[in-house]
Amino acid sequence: MTMKKGLKIFLIIAVLGLVTGLSTVYYVFNKPHRNVEDETPSYTMDATALYSEYSNDEEASNLKFADKVIQVNGEIAELSIDGYQVSVVLNDEMEGVSCALDSVTIDNHKSVIDALKLGDKITLKGKCDGFDMIMGVVFTRCFIIE
Amino acid sequence: MKLKYILLIIFTGSLLSSFAQKYITKTGTIEIYSETPLFIIEGVNKKVASILNTETGEVVSSTLIRSFKFEEALVEEHFNENYLEPHKFPKSIFKGKITDYKKIDFSKDGKYDIMIEGKLTIHGVTNYIKEKGSLVIKNGEISAKSDFPVSLKAYGVKVEPAYKKAIKDDILLKIHFDYKPYNK
Repeated sequence: MTMKKGLKIFLIIAVLGLVTGLSTVYYVFNKPHRNVEDETPSYTMDATALYSEYSNDEEASNLKFADKVIQVNGEIAELSIDGYQVSVVLNDEMEGVSCALDSVTIDNHKSVIDALKLGDKITLKGKCDGFDMIMGVVFTRCFIIE
Repeated sequence: MKLKYILLIIFTGSLLSSFAQKYITKTGTIEIYSETPLFIIEGVNKKVASILNTETGEVVSSTLIRSFKFEEALVEEHFNENYLEPHKFPKSIFKGKITDYKKIDFSKDGKYDIMIEGKLTIHGVTNYIKEKGSLVIKNGEISAKSDFPVSLKAYGVKVEPAYKKAIKDDILLKIHFDYKPYNK
């Protein structure tokens, strides 16, 4: 009787262990991507201000902004829409903030994106990747805020 | 009278140089591909910038390591934190030229096989590379492609012993730039 009980407990523990183990492995391998859309931005600022901080001191700006979610507003200086690749450049073609929109926002805001035009004021939220000599400040996984 | 000629020469000269063509893209793509029986790694970066000077064949391209996206968040995390370390080396740059650019007539539609050579910097390490590519010129726009492998070891990217079997040393890069004329 006690023997049976012991076995039962052992089995329960073994099954529980297996389930937690497998779900951990499953979770680790299918870990969701960072949810930029729901993340509160670390900074909210103007595209011009962000660009000038970066052009003044790239290294310090990388420490401050890189990998952070930032909400940025500005005027559309360049647009390139090509299927799943929508890129919006704010303030200046070369000296601005270049934003690649997230595919989720592209799906959800198709009509908004189609209506975008040069000179429009727009607010975007995205992940800051750093500073490039041709593109300016680069953002990816961007979502349209307004 | 002489002055008029000189002015004419200067004028036509400046006119000609304004045709000195540069082409640009800011939405080039680089795909990363590695396959072993254990693991397939696929990543893509759609924020690659490049400028091509058709008069000299010179090409410059640059991208930020953090702009690479992977299907699995875990792979993306590892790529950044353990392998490419963008906090130390935020960008990758190529400076070089199309060696056989003279055979290309950029003014009309056509297809060409090309050779590209130059210096590629990844992970803070610069190597000289020479690779094949292709160009398609259509309606004044240039589409350039090149696929070539890069060795992780050659760029000082260390693979943890536990992953040695899962990740090959040679990683395939698939590069695709759609250049548009740049008039400035």
